[in-house]
Amino acid sequence: MKHVIVRWQRGVPIYAVPKITPFLVFLCAMGALSIVLSAYREWAGLGPTTGMNDVYAWGIWKTFNTMVLTGLGSGGFSIGIAAWIFFRRELHSVMRTAVLTSFVAYFSGLIALGVDVGRPWNFYQVLMPWRWNPHSPLLEVAFCMPLYACVPLFLENTPPLIERWFYTWPGFRPFMMKYIVPATRATYPYVIALAYALPMMHQSSLGALMLLGGSRVHVLWQTPFLPLLYVWAAGFLGYACVIGVLMVSCLSWKRPIDMRILGVLARIMCWLVLSWTAFRFLDILVRGQIAAAFAFDRFSLLFWLEILLLAVPSVYLLRGDNRRLSSRLFLADVLIAVGGMLYRFDPTILAFTARPGAVYFPSAIEALVAAGYVCLAVAGFIIAAKYLPILPAPVTAWHDMEHYARVVHPDWKLEIHDFSHHNRPHFAN
Amino acid sequence: MELTRREALRSVVSKCIPVATAALALPAVEAAETTSQPKAPVGMLYDATLCIGCKACVVACAEANELPRDVSLDGLHQAPEDLNAFTKNIIKLYKPQEHSPDSFVKQQCMHCLDPACVAACPFKALWKSDANGVVAWEPSRCIGCRYCEIACPYHVPKFEWDMINPKIVKCELCRPRLAKGYEPACTSVCPTHAVIFGPRETLLSQAKGRIEESPNKYFENRVYGEHEAGGTQVLYLSHVPFEEIGLPDIGTAPIPERLRWQKALYKFLALPLLLYAMLATAMRKNWIDHRKEMREEEEQTGLRPQL
Repeated sequence: MKHVIVRWQRGVPIYAVPKITPFLVFLCAMGALSIVLSAYREWAGLGPTTGMNDVYAWGIWKTFNTMVLTGLGSGGFSIGIAAWIFFRRELHSVMRTAVLTSFVAYFSGLIALGVDVGRPWNFYQVLMPWRWNPHSPLLEVAFCMPLYACVPLFLENTPPLIERWFYTWPGFRPFMMKYIVPATRATYPYVIALAYALPMMHQSSLGALMLLGGSRVHVLWQTPFLPLLYVWAAGFLGYACVIGVLMVSCLSWKRPIDMRILGVLARIMCWLVLSWTAFRFLDILVRGQIAAAFAFDRFSLLFWLEILLLAVPSVYLLRGDNRRLSSRLFLADVLIAVGGMLYRFDPTILAFTARPGAVYFPSAIEALVAAGYVCLAVAGFIIAAKYLPILPAPVTAWHDMEHYARVVHPDWKLEIHDFSHHNRPHFAN
Repeated sequence: MELTRREALRSVVSKCIPVATAALALPAVEAAETTSQPKAPVGMLYDATLCIGCKACVVACAEANELPRDVSLDGLHQAPEDLNAFTKNIIKLYKPQEHSPDSFVKQQCMHCLDPACVAACPFKALWKSDANGVVAWEPSRCIGCRYCEIACPYHVPKFEWDMINPKIVKCELCRPRLAKGYEPACTSVCPTHAVIFGPRETLLSQAKGRIEESPNKYFENRVYGEHEAGGTQVLYLSHVPFEEIGLPDIGTAPIPERLRWQKALYKFLALPLLLYAMLATAMRKNWIDHRKEMREEEEQTGLRPQL
């Protein structure tokens, strides 16, 4: 038998908990506030509402909400490649969580980008190829990122929704079996391949954006390999985010934690981080800029902070014992996530000096809007986890839910035992 | 014989490598310019030794371009501190600490031969004229992303931060005046001819002539803008170091050349499509395997599978 028995066998919705909690209300209130403030920003202009200026023309809406958070939301892409392309089947149990984190992160980032641009009414040109400037990395991002979020990432997130309808809406079953299942079978590999090709393109183009910044980006960050380092960082950030999200979800909703799968994820993440760190040092050495790392100015300290946050927890997690203990894994994972986010953020603001003396600090409105859209993403994740079979659980959790639903929703048909396959022809592939 | 996954992957990779190398090697031969060279580039020559700092050009520029007066300094005088949303052209004074000479400097768009802003702009809102090489801004195309401000090495494009319908503000070499056969406003009013207008070639030879006439008058005996970042259509002569008056030492490579790898990778979209084809090939194989294993599990456990 090739298949692996894991404790997390199946996505199961979070059930028998209040759908509306004070925390969720807080998140939605923050989201609503950011929508109101965004409307104010559209009316008042960017100057009075943000801390941006002609020297720091890009503020946290672009550099944090879009460039950093979509990196953090790359789990659907980076874990997906391991699960599907490198055929690590045991990782399929976390894929639904991964693609959902990607979905909410990308949408929150794209909304922030829409608030940030000064003339959004001209964005329709993204559908007019003759108006594209093919040399612009920003065009690549502007086209590829919404395309990824709206097509392959959206389609990757539909199975949980369809599954919910399958169990709770008996009239839907014949339609699903007749149309959706064959269509999915025929197109799935092509959709998934798109879901990995597009992020490789736009996550690297996010790094390419700063290439035109030239010497404004400090030499420790500015390198022709910036696109490669950015997509690489998106790779391990995706792992860090999914590990963290799974642990927080399991703890707060009292689900069992499958440390074995988390250990597998953490091991891949460590090797991604360590190889990335080695490559980064190699790049700095080859460019002859290693002295800048030992200048012990603001930039070199920032550089070492990144390296410490990334490399130390990664080396720590190489020991299996540290991966198996949830508290140690969680702490190291958070440090790696912060380090990776810092790396993606630094070339755009902290290590970006366009003019001596110029400063940028986000205004209160800017920070509230940025935080509000992150809150909306978290709220979206929580709501989806409560309605859809996203978070992995042992198969017994499904049976418990079945018993619970019999009382609350007698019309639902949640049984998953299905022996009809004995009568179906074998897969003829 | 059945193909294993490893073999399938290997065959795909081995077929792809020659194609990929060819696609990467191909564009390296070509020039890295993003715009075609203008037929008759026009520009300006500014000689810092002739400028008396009267700022007539600043006022004339604001008038010709119908820019609101920037009186933010004291509410009375039109004295902008830098290029900004109200100022496309400015005269600044460089005052050194020690006893070396002072210098005025004029700042406006350099109208690069291979402009960084045009390479950066996603929807060609910033474009370079094929005819006279003026770099201009087209409002109906600009999405207000401000990437031009990140990319321009001279800090020229400015953004109307306070407007509901913000525009990018930058010198367009008085495009409407050129179309009517006039010269730009700033050159037309300069009392000492410190800034003059003309075809780039003429201005360049004129500048070199001035250097020849008085060999040690000008910094490094060279014209700023002849080769800087691939060459600019606005040329500078100065008696103080160029860096001191805000003209950065940026080498001769055009700024868009920093994207040459990126351009090679996206040439004809060949490599992205190849990547997609490889991923799809691997996925098709793995999808079949995955469904087989799902089926096996279903038979063993009797549980409906999840995708």
